[in-house]
Amino acid sequence: MLLVDKILKLFSSDLKVVNIGLEIFKDELELQNVPVVQVTWQPYPKLEKEYEDILSKIL
Amino acid sequence: MLSPVLIPHPTSRWGKPSRGLDLSIVRNIVKTNYYRDSLQLLRLSEEAKKIEGVRDAAVVMATSTNKEILSKLNLLTSEGLSATPNDLIIAVFADSQHAIDHGIQQIEASLTRAPSGSKNHFQTIDAALQSFSGVNLAIVSVPGEHAKEIVMMLLRKDINVHLFSNHVSIEDELEMKQFAKSNGLLVMGPGAGTSIIAGKAVAFANVVRRGNVGIVAAAGTGLQEVSVLLDDGGLGVSQALGTGGGDVKDQIGAISTLQAIEALEKDVSTDIIVIVSKPPDPVVKDRIVNYVAQSTSKPVVTCFLGADPSANLPTIESRVSLTRTLHAAALETMRRSSVHTNRNSISMAPTQLFELTREISGKLNAKQRYVRGLYTGGTLAYEAIIILNHMIGNVYSNAPLKTNLKLPDSCQSLKDSILDLGEGEFTLGRAHPMIDPTVRQLRLIEEAKDPEVSVIMLDVMLGYGSHSDPAGAMCDSISKAQVIAKNDGRELPILAHVCGTEQDPQHRSDQIAKLRNVDAIMFPTNALMATAGALISRRDSISLTSLAELYRLFLDTSRGK
Repeated sequence: MLLVDKILKLFSSDLKVVNIGLEIFKDELELQNVPVVQVTWQPYPKLEKEYEDILSKIL
Repeated sequence: MLSPVLIPHPTSRWGKPSRGLDLSIVRNIVKTNYYRDSLQLLRLSEEAKKIEGVRDAAVVMATSTNKEILSKLNLLTSEGLSATPNDLIIAVFADSQHAIDHGIQQIEASLTRAPSGSKNHFQTIDAALQSFSGVNLAIVSVPGEHAKEIVMMLLRKDINVHLFSNHVSIEDELEMKQFAKSNGLLVMGPGAGTSIIAGKAVAFANVVRRGNVGIVAAAGTGLQEVSVLLDDGGLGVSQALGTGGGDVKDQIGAISTLQAIEALEKDVSTDIIVIVSKPPDPVVKDRIVNYVAQSTSKPVVTCFLGADPSANLPTIESRVSLTRTLHAAALETMRRSSVHTNRNSISMAPTQLFELTREISGKLNAKQRYVRGLYTGGTLAYEAIIILNHMIGNVYSNAPLKTNLKLPDSCQSLKDSILDLGEGEFTLGRAHPMIDPTVRQLRLIEEAKDPEVSVIMLDVMLGYGSHSDPAGAMCDSISKAQVIAKNDGRELPILAHVCGTEQDPQHRSDQIAKLRNVDAIMFPTNALMATAGALISRRDSISLTSLAELYRLFLDTSRGK
């Protein structure tokens, strides 16, 4: 027996969305009057190899 | 990084209009370890092309795909060539040094401009959720290697997830889905392109009427095609849940698909369940079919593309129908519905299709014998391969039915070829072809130069998320392709199928009118277009009788009636 009560609740509720990544998906939900917030995701800054090597020696 | 390259005789096998003899300049600026997502960069590229004095421009992450495309557009210099995938390339082609400097300055200013600064923008998920309570769905579209960390955080906060990201490892997928299932939550994806939840389009989805059909799909454009064809026939959708292609792999075992089926079985708004999938691993297909047979009570229509519906089946009750194409799944769902439907909306009698294709193929010369498909929808490409494989035999593809039919080079078609332009080699670091038409525009021109091509097929995907005018974006290339053929003494029929509704932001009738205006021949379903493609390319060897047999097997029938 699978637990699907939370999924059924999603079906019957008004959507309220957090969008992480491509902003186009937030824009299209707004066009459909869905409440949505955007998280502007960025990858962690990547260290230059030489700094990474130095840090790995220190730590 | 600043040395310009003079272009004396640019030529491109991808059909970029020749710039002739000029001394225009291309320059690449490389910004190391600099990330922007593919849609931000697409928008920047479009804006950059409009800068005064700039003749062409692109702003892309420096993946090998993007460097290849820059090269084919004559926009790559040695600086860009040496950039790594974590770097960003600004490529500008202009008539003068001044225009280059001005263009680059403008693009860099746009790049560093802060996001819109709306009150609904946050830097972290925690900050977003603290300000916005009651979130019940998250859409995640970050690069695949970062997806698990974000999805697990959301699941721990009791939020269902639609995971658009591709390139997520199978181990990560399994961990996320097992955790979600144990907490009664749903992870749709990775690689889930489409869902319709509570009447709202999520990611790439069409505006279809609400109704009593629940759809589960490990096939994004398959979900789109079925929901659109049902809408055409008068049926609506209760919920449509994309689970991602990985869900039907052996290692995952259809975790999300089975959760979704159980939820639709218990959903009071759903009367019929439709299950659509690209070929599942055989064990997984059996698992889904057994689950449907034993644990559901509603009518169920399945479409496991590429699977033999008669293989290894348990005794199926008459309420379960097994179909082989999206077209047949839609027709069968309409047949089973208690709601009045118009099945004629997506039908074409075999004789009608036969006569139409005879008329088209009568204008071709003897050398023209191969069919080519340039698809933006992966499931639609697959459906076409299945039909063509039955009618004409081996079909090459970058996503083939059998591994021995894989194109050695996705940039070069062979004999009969169907291309899925949404596959990784075309999309790594750039927007999907349903949003960015560049790759297909270039490829269409290239295919038109091949004198052995008899017919080219195009899908045109509408709906939220897609290009704002996908038909319009292809018209110029269609006209150019026809001119290339004409100058070579050939006709080149272009077939097209618009997957969309009148209510979609792009409006289906407008899109069809644009394509008809450049003499594209329109089909109401992808399966009918593929059938027409086969009939045109093998005009002398396919009889009306064998066409009727194809209809019986692939377009009309189901088991368990």
